[in-house]
Amino acid sequence: MKKLKITIKRYDGQKSWNQDYEIDYEKGRTVLWSLTMIREKLDSTLVFSSACQHGICGSCAIKINGKTVLVCQTPLDSMLNLFKTDRLIYEPMSHFEVIRDLAVAWEPKMEKMKKVNPWLIPIEAGTKENGFLQGADDFQKISSATDCILCGICTSECNQLEVNDGTFLDPFIFNKAYRFAVDSRDCASEDHVHPAYENELWKCLHCMQCVSNCPKHIDLTGEISALRNMSMKMGETKNQGARHARAFYEDTWKKGQLNETMLPIKTDGLLKTAATKVPFALRMMKTGKINPLELQKPVNGIKGVRELYDYAKEVEKSES
Amino acid sequence: MMKYDVVVVGAGGAGMQAALNASYGSSLKIAVLSKIFPTRSHTGAAQGGINAALGYRDATDSIEKHFKDTVKGSDFLADQDAVQFFTENMPKIISELDYMGVPFSRDQNGHIAQRPFGGASSPRTCYSADKTGHVILHSLYEQCLQQGIHFYDDWFLLSLVVKDNELEGLVAMDMRKGEIQAIQAKAVVIATGGFGRVFWSRTTNAINMTGDGTAACFNAGIPLKDPEFVQFHPTGLASTGVLVSEACRGEGGYLLNKDGERFMKRYAPDKMELGPRDLVARSIETEIKEGRGFGEGMNSYVLMDLRHLGKERIMQRLPQVRELALNFEGVDIIHEPVPVRPSCHYMMGGISVSDYKTLATSVHGIHAVGECCCVSIHGANRLGGNSVADVVLFGKYAGLGARQTAENREFGSIEKLEEEQNKWIEKFKMMRKKTAGIKFFEIRDKMAEAMWYHVGIFRVGSEIEQALATLDEAIEEYKDAYIGDSSERYNMAFINYVELGNLLKLAKAVTIGALNRKESRGSHSRGDFTQRDDKNYLKHTLVYYDEGRFRLDYAPVMITSYQPEERKY
Ligand SMILES: Cc1cc2nc3c(=O)[nH]c(=O)nc-3n(C[C@H](O)[C@H](O)[C@H](O)COP(=O)(O)OP(=O)(O)OC[C@H]3O[C@@H](n4cnc5c(N)ncnc54)[C@H](O)[C@@H]3O)c2cc1C
Ligand code: SF4
Ligand code: SF4
Ligand code: FES
Repeated sequence: MKKLKITIKRYDGQKSWNQDYEIDYEKGRTVLWSLTMIREKLDSTLVFSSACQHGICGSCAIKINGKTVLVCQTPLDSMLNLFKTDRLIYEPMSHFEVIRDLAVAWEPKMEKMKKVNPWLIPIEAGTKENGFLQGADDFQKISSATDCILCGICTSECNQLEVNDGTFLDPFIFNKAYRFAVDSRDCASEDHVHPAYENELWKCLHCMQCVSNCPKHIDLTGEISALRNMSMKMGETKNQGARHARAFYEDTWKKGQLNETMLPIKTDGLLKTAATKVPFALRMMKTGKINPLELQKPVNGIKGVRELYDYAKEVEKSES
Repeated sequence: MMKYDVVVVGAGGAGMQAALNASYGSSLKIAVLSKIFPTRSHTGAAQGGINAALGYRDATDSIEKHFKDTVKGSDFLADQDAVQFFTENMPKIISELDYMGVPFSRDQNGHIAQRPFGGASSPRTCYSADKTGHVILHSLYEQCLQQGIHFYDDWFLLSLVVKDNELEGLVAMDMRKGEIQAIQAKAVVIATGGFGRVFWSRTTNAINMTGDGTAACFNAGIPLKDPEFVQFHPTGLASTGVLVSEACRGEGGYLLNKDGERFMKRYAPDKMELGPRDLVARSIETEIKEGRGFGEGMNSYVLMDLRHLGKERIMQRLPQVRELALNFEGVDIIHEPVPVRPSCHYMMGGISVSDYKTLATSVHGIHAVGECCCVSIHGANRLGGNSVADVVLFGKYAGLGARQTAENREFGSIEKLEEEQNKWIEKFKMMRKKTAGIKFFEIRDKMAEAMWYHVGIFRVGSEIEQALATLDEAIEEYKDAYIGDSSERYNMAFINYVELGNLLKLAKAVTIGALNRKESRGSHSRGDFTQRDDKNYLKHTLVYYDEGRFRLDYAPVMITSYQPEERKY
């Protein structure tokens, strides 16, 4: 009988170790099934979270061979095929505090989420007695964003969080900010957008890791772009946009120096965008001529980045 | 010792509504305990929607019609005064949810959209695509964040402490630390959800739906009302039991047997697939029993066909259903029919509530709300879309009721609380040390099997008795159960062990109720008593737990304006 080899990263609150398990392979089973088998047949000390078993409660995400998935709706076969292996490695999500084994704590994330005022700030036309009128098209604007199940996969996969000191908001928090900022029943977009850009909205690398792994297919980077646009517009009236653009420019430069190994993945279009366009982005924004966030081709290595910065300075000089 | 004016146990729709409404404009100290992170609660799994007679889609709809549908759906076992209160107040609650930011789907006039649902004479089910419970749960959570509600996540209610019929507080485990705490409280709201897991894997319920709060109240001397009424959802996915929303039938899905026939014409010629759940579930099982299903034995099924709705409508109205079928059954409903069969879905019975306006129980200080309790507005059978409605509406009144209770009560004494706390500390120690015995997973499977085969969709006296015997055996074995985890921190094996103890007790209450109700009514279908018997059984079952013994009693049903008649669809 075909065997399935599974290594699980264990943690008991003090020490951490890898433990190997072997179970009989069965066709068409989910990853959750494998965890349940291990726990019920081999080792009842194993801890993992799951509740609904059908992809709606968001409690069961873990990393499998580095890729974060909801275990309840991920077929084992898809993982075995993807990684072309008969050994799977289960680990808790990245960028979360681990409680025990594969279970993580959410409270710190919720404290962080509070920064964007993640609740409806109702327009005056609405009342508790009669609710609101909202067009079907306006509902469509929030429909996808409100699919978020707070599973944390986007956080676990986020490249900015990998290097960030923790200030950068988790992608699902940007989603929350966006969801209220565009809700026609909400009167205070700024109260959601402003804290987003105060908390490093501009540091998103547009690497798309969050989007491509989100089980609800939420267009997180699209939302981040939209938030940036909103923040630019708000910044203009408040004369803060320039400050943010500048911060973005400097930070990108620093990140490049700080973490060279991450660059091949991360030095994508944004660095180029930063280098070439941000210094004068505001001027162009005013005339609505450019989108400072459009994706460019990747740049290889820090060298390329620095060249770009130099080039940008040149451009700047020649333009002024 | 920890001390709160109001402790809400459970952070689903009912618990969070209670916490919010107890806290608005009050200075009471309130805490919410939940064994899982709030947004994981099973309210989030409700796909189809929430009922309120708003009349946007159908101007002829009315409170009266919602009332009649609910009472008729309940097979006349619902308390009509409570149903009146419920249907009257639902439209207001929908507005309140809207005002909290719940993203409802909208009609062309900007009003909240409504869809037809099983057992409803007008399309009155408000929805948000097919994620209604999910968006309500998350909106309530957002409101709690704004309101600064204090959550204790990963805290597990172990027991309630009551002296002379007065609440003193509760004992709970801080699961992450493995610490057992006593909490003094003036009022407690139990909102711990259903206990579909008595059927273990044959249910649409989340893995944690184990009825802990229901069992805690039961232990504390509050009776269970109508526990024998278990709703089986007609359309679970055939291989996993995962629910396919009733919205599929609402949107016009067909049920087909192996001859390709829309067999519902035999059972509900007018309503067809839109007949109430119990009827559709039994119809499917009858088709299977009589050899017109696909597959064999435990793996039998019928088909649900949605292809005629077209891709666009499916993508727009049923996107989650499509994904479910893809992930769990490997079927794209745009191109193929999906195999379905009934699964245990909802518990009509639960902690007996004695006042539907405050959700108070027979013990002073304890309120109960949501699926864990029985008001009763669902009677022998709940209508689709009436449960999330129940949860948010009565959640509100439970919060207000608990607040009133807390304002009028003093803290009790702490001796009994400490005693109870120590009892649990000892038990936890003992279970962690124990290295041999019967594996509790095995006891669980034994219970579930007995329940599914003998106290399931079709019931017969002799078989129910068999189940009772098996349950007694399992309860005996439980005393020698062994958990296999000695750690203090986040000991899920211990938690699951306690949950199983609760399930066993509740399973036995279901079985006793089922055995003694010698009639067929709503979801309770007896092969040996096939007719409804109003003369003898138009009454609520009450099961008590006194000093280790189960005791049976009955209580009258409140009938106001709608006299029982034959239930035909
Ligand atoms: C798949 C599915 C689909 C459904 N669809 C619909 C629908 O479309 N329309 C409809 O009206 N109804 C629907 N229902 C029914 C409805 O969703 C539930 O009845 C309702 O949401 C229950 O809400 P609740 O607040 O009572 O409990 P839950 O939402 O289940 O919350 C229970 C809470 O109690 C906590 N808890 C439990 N035990 C303990 C303990 N020991 N200590 C501490 N905390 C504890 C849990 O952590 C959780 O927070 C559906 C149910 C299922 C299973
Ligand atoms: S696109 Fe931005 S938010 Fe998403 S993973 Fe990359 S850095 Fe993180
Ligand atoms: S945005 Fe997607 S990946 Fe992130 S928490 Fe929400 S559902 Fe999960
Ligand atoms: S168990 Fe709920 S999302 Fe996986």
